[in-house]
Amino acid sequence: MSELIGIIVSRDPDVRNRSLDQLCRVATAATLLEECRALDVFRRTSDNLYERVRAQFFLYAIHRFYLPLKDGIARTGLIPFAASANLLKRRFEEGIQILLKAQGSQGANPALSSGLAAAYHGLAFQTLADQVRRSVRSVRGNQWMSRIGHPADYPLTIRSELLTKGSTGLYPILRETTPVRMDLSHSGWSDIFFLGMDFPEGARVLNVSIDLAVRGSGEGSPRPPVEAYLRVIEEPVLRLTSADLSATADVSSFAEMFDFARDYLGLLKAAVIASGIVAPAMEGCSEPLSDLLTRLVGRGRGLEIVSRVRDIPKGSRLAVSTNLLACLISACMRATNQIHALTGTLAEEDRRLIAARAILGEWLGGSGGGWQDSGGVWPGMKLIQGVVASEGDPEFGISRGRLLPVHQVLSEEEVSSETRQRLQASLVLVHGGMAQDVGPILEMVTEKYLLRSEAEWTGRKQAISLLDEVVADLRAGDVQALGSATERNFVGPIQTIIPWASNLYTETLITRVRHEIGEDFWGFWMLGGMSGGGMGFIFDPRRKSHAQDRLQAIMSDTKQRLETAVPFAMEPVVYDFAINERGTSAELLTGDSALMPRGYYDLVVPALMRVEPRMLHPARRAELDRFGAACRTAPELAGMMQNLFERLLPQSAEDTSGKAPPLKVLLEQFGFDPTLHEQIRTDMRNGRIGLAQNRLPVTSDIQDVRPGDLIDATGLVGERFARIGLDALKAGEVAVVSLAGGAGTRWTRGAGVVKALNPFCRLGGKHRNFVETHLAKSRRTGRLAGTLVPHVFTTSYLTHEPIRKWLDCVDGYDYPGPLLLSQGKSIGLRLVPMARDLRFAWEEMPAQILDEQKQKVRESLHGALIGWARDAGEGRDYTDNLPMQCLHPTGHWYEVPNMLRNGVLRDLLEQHPQLRHFMIHNIDTLGASLDPCVIGLHIDRGAAMTTEVIARQIDDRGGGLARIDGRLRIIEGLALPSEEVESALSYYNSNTMWIDIDRMLAAFAIERRDLKDESKVGAAVRTVAARMPTYITIKDVKKRWGKGQEDIFPVAQFEKLWGDMTALPQMDCAYLGVPRVRGQQLKEPAQLDGWLRDGSASHVESLCDWE
Amino acid sequence: MNIHKAVITAAGRNQRALPLQTLVDRDGNEKTVLRLIIEEVLTAKIDEICVVVSPGDEAAYARAAVERAGMIRFIEQPVPLGYGNALHCSQEFVGNEPFLHLVGDHLHVSQTGIGSAQQLVQVATEERCAVSTVQATRENVIQHYGTVAGPKISDRENLYRIETVIEKPTPTEAEQKLIVAGMRAGHYLCFFGMHVFTPAVFELLARHVSLSSALAELAKQERYLALHTRNRRYDVGVKYGLLRAQLALSLSGDEREDVLSQIIEVLAASNGLQA
Repeated sequence: MSELIGIIVSRDPDVRNRSLDQLCRVATAATLLEECRALDVFRRTSDNLYERVRAQFFLYAIHRFYLPLKDGIARTGLIPFAASANLLKRRFEEGIQILLKAQGSQGANPALSSGLAAAYHGLAFQTLADQVRRSVRSVRGNQWMSRIGHPADYPLTIRSELLTKGSTGLYPILRETTPVRMDLSHSGWSDIFFLGMDFPEGARVLNVSIDLAVRGSGEGSPRPPVEAYLRVIEEPVLRLTSADLSATADVSSFAEMFDFARDYLGLLKAAVIASGIVAPAMEGCSEPLSDLLTRLVGRGRGLEIVSRVRDIPKGSRLAVSTNLLACLISACMRATNQIHALTGTLAEEDRRLIAARAILGEWLGGSGGGWQDSGGVWPGMKLIQGVVASEGDPEFGISRGRLLPVHQVLSEEEVSSETRQRLQASLVLVHGGMAQDVGPILEMVTEKYLLRSEAEWTGRKQAISLLDEVVADLRAGDVQALGSATERNFVGPIQTIIPWASNLYTETLITRVRHEIGEDFWGFWMLGGMSGGGMGFIFDPRRKSHAQDRLQAIMSDTKQRLETAVPFAMEPVVYDFAINERGTSAELLTGDSALMPRGYYDLVVPALMRVEPRMLHPARRAELDRFGAACRTAPELAGMMQNLFERLLPQSAEDTSGKAPPLKVLLEQFGFDPTLHEQIRTDMRNGRIGLAQNRLPVTSDIQDVRPGDLIDATGLVGERFARIGLDALKAGEVAVVSLAGGAGTRWTRGAGVVKALNPFCRLGGKHRNFVETHLAKSRRTGRLAGTLVPHVFTTSYLTHEPIRKWLDCVDGYDYPGPLLLSQGKSIGLRLVPMARDLRFAWEEMPAQILDEQKQKVRESLHGALIGWARDAGEGRDYTDNLPMQCLHPTGHWYEVPNMLRNGVLRDLLEQHPQLRHFMIHNIDTLGASLDPCVIGLHIDRGAAMTTEVIARQIDDRGGGLARIDGRLRIIEGLALPSEEVESALSYYNSNTMWIDIDRMLAAFAIERRDLKDESKVGAAVRTVAARMPTYITIKDVKKRWGKGQEDIFPVAQFEKLWGDMTALPQMDCAYLGVPRVRGQQLKEPAQLDGWLRDGSASHVESLCDWE
Repeated sequence: MNIHKAVITAAGRNQRALPLQTLVDRDGNEKTVLRLIIEEVLTAKIDEICVVVSPGDEAAYARAAVERAGMIRFIEQPVPLGYGNALHCSQEFVGNEPFLHLVGDHLHVSQTGIGSAQQLVQVATEERCAVSTVQATRENVIQHYGTVAGPKISDRENLYRIETVIEKPTPTEAEQKLIVAGMRAGHYLCFFGMHVFTPAVFELLARHVSLSSALAELAKQERYLALHTRNRRYDVGVKYGLLRAQLALSLSGDEREDVLSQIIEVLAASNGLQA
């Protein structure tokens, strides 16, 4: 029997919990391949879900981290296009079949292993997600909703109390208020469903329901932060309104109800569906929604549901959205008799039902949280624990644990009211301002748990014992000890399991707070998936008030220092909080008190006031009367009239522009070329340029490289080349150019921060950014060669000032050599994209299909965004954002000519006339270094430009090295006529290039001495630019609004890319195949964990001298 | 156990006129709903019948019962305090013995040739305990009925020991508390409008407002069974209830072909076709 299968099926926990690494580290390639064969058979045949999934994760890990590095494995290979296509469509089984067949014919190689790793990884998560979905549907109380597919079958009716009009002629309002939850333990993300359903014994958290108020907001004492309002209306529609997101819609069809991303009402829709008011099985029903409403509330009537979040920003790590979902579901279920109590608090069985429905709602809305997130439904402090599935449970025989955990509410005998008071008096809750996607983190946690990686498994066990310690501290009333435990948890197990849980911002805050408050700072406590957003700091109660003031100041100051490097969604805030001992609760508002929340009237009254009173429905008129009266008397509606007046007469755009310079000023300042812009706009609108037009004609002859087309530098290179390289270094002939002008869109999804300055990883014991890392490599090379290597960072309008200021601030990291910035001289103005380009990007180009429900949400969003492009005007200037977010860099082609135009190259050559070669590389190619062997190969070959390429793997999309109509050149992915062509290319462009400066200048038809002649240089650059293709690209840009809300819009921009220089006949180019650790680029934060684990990070560290 | 008394409740505020409606029975004879119910009762060899009515309704009901009026005792429910109270009003009539109970707005159509009341009384006599007839009902309509759940009695076809009774549950509640092993998914055992009760029910009705909550209590304190019938009941009190009941009666009787052809004629005419 295979050793790994033995680990998976063992009933002995010591064997079952053995890590994969123990075996794989020492195994030969042949042993691993045999294990893979056995595991693949096993994962197909095992009846046990988690055994199958663990086998899939083992297969993923072997192919991702071990097999490609073993002796005897070929260095290159080709991934069949059919395999890539199947993986993108989530047909993982078919993809695996094709890849295994290819492995049979090609032999094992890194390319195929990368494909197999991706396939097994995707399959494992799909298997887990499918199981959770099945479990959610099979929870008793949820099943009927999958069977009721037509209004004629509709079983629910509204409670009679809600149909009883008051003397005002209006229906009463059911108001539900719900606290949010904080997780006082952070038990190693053990509330992930996948984890709890396999390891229920280890799935435990200490969850506390809390009320909140943002400190200094004038909101007064803490209150339940989320609210839902529900009432009957005399129109046959479902009127959904989000008072805090200022969105409202009258839903009259089932299609619209299931269109989650059409507006900001997705969460309300998910709640209405999960509550059963519109059963999930009614998706696709073509009857009018009014048929259902007739059965529910009577002919001609409908329902109005309003949600409200009280000023709590997004990313609070307090599960605001899940508790809002639960709050809405609770109100809907009370109103439809599914819960017996119309008002007041809930019985335990009802809370459990709401928790199950909230999970369903999260799945419907394409989001996902942990099983503790609806903890606000329960009162006070509770220990939530996974439960082993037993006979009679739907999960029995499928997974070890149940989907839903049990909630043990801690009584005052267990944790006294004095202790609760002490906790309130010590804990300062904050939102640090960062709002990050924790999805990748949760995947990493699941993967590491199922692989039982040694360090992480030890960390998990420590986290479990720390939870016991936290509970014991609470029972003993020792808040100081609790602070110590939560901080040890953060520093120890949490970061052992996921290093990315911490970041430079958080650690700076902790250091500064400790420095200022000293021993009275009892400990840091991390909430939720990542730090930087919601966090807790525990103090001696005597210092709490002072600490709150100081934390606000420290956070704001630290944010200001880091905001160009780290994506912040909002200004940091400090909360006041109180433990909520009721859980979710409802009341029936009748008579004069039957009013909606303030934000609701802000939104709807201006529109009603524009309608002639006689045209208004009598119910609306009555409501306006009542609202008008309440404005004069109700304190919570104070100032409403002023608000409404301002909304009716909005201020002009000029008055609200704030502190940032207007767009017009920025355009002038950065050298915007309006003529070129108009030309691009016209061409784009006329269809002369666009995503489809980026591509080479289908008649182009595109072939893969032939033997001898490139120099192999993946293995040992002769001593002679090392000597040539070292001599060049010693002679001061080599400099580095790091391309740092780009916006790094994929790194932060268009947040507009400077990727080059992002402290992405802890290297050499500290968080380092890309600039520091590249300088550390140049420092080390300089020391080894006994020289000072000039290092240039090219910048753009977006990156120049932040990088300059940062380098000033850190004294250029004490880099001993010449350190220069080459400021960008070109800028573009983003355009609203053409609908046809959006369709091309989303429908024609290959993209990873998502999980079923997430894909539906994505397609709905795409539909909404195409509608936005049409409404905003295709091809119009994109100006509806902060001015800096409306501009774009114009591609890295310009970054090299900019050095010619801005005088940097001229000055550099004057000061270092011996300089002959540049290594130009992307900011995120961390392995690129001044390796003497590579320099030697470049110099020996004597090319004007030597381009480094790496053997293609599954994620390497975006062109590569090819023979185009007979000429060997770099081809951008944008320009390839089809994806199938790309998959046939063995090498991917690392975008690291070696340039012979004089020969490059010759290609521009100038010489060194011409660099002083600005007009000659300008003409030379324009001439070559004209020969470079212009690509239209669609990029994401974030628009921030409200309380930490972010929308992502696709915008059109143009760019020219340096790789196209290889197509110029006057550029004599050579190509170098280099190892992956040297050429791979970090495009997304989700790559970091693999990069750290596969040895790439330590390789980079080995190239650096940090001081 | 000897059952020779029956109680029919017909005092509901919105149901007072329903038992007086006239339908055509399976044999083609015109009869009031009340008379049809009484005939159902009589198949179970019942000697004494009590009808609980609203004040002032006795005369009309006596006329509706025609020749059976003589064997009926009418009891008024003085104040409209609900169904449970109406049944409680019959306590004196029933005395200290088990009795058959039917509601005045339900008609029952047999699929087997044996009347539903006859079948129920037979089972209650054999089992010597309270028994309610129940019908498998789809989840989309259970909010109209009292619903029961409990384990099947071994070796007895169609008999269940009632453990839970919930009045008009939602499917959500039904799925959590009323699933009965062996039933098709989404189907529950709902009251059929026909019961045999022991006199203990009167004590419980004195303490509980609704009959269902009294029956939930009854299930806790004594053996209480559910008889799952294949026969059909028709609630004449719901929209088109009388029409459905009439169709069910006619289509199970001698004039089935004639009724069918008339339905087709109506259908054709409503679609603009000539018959």
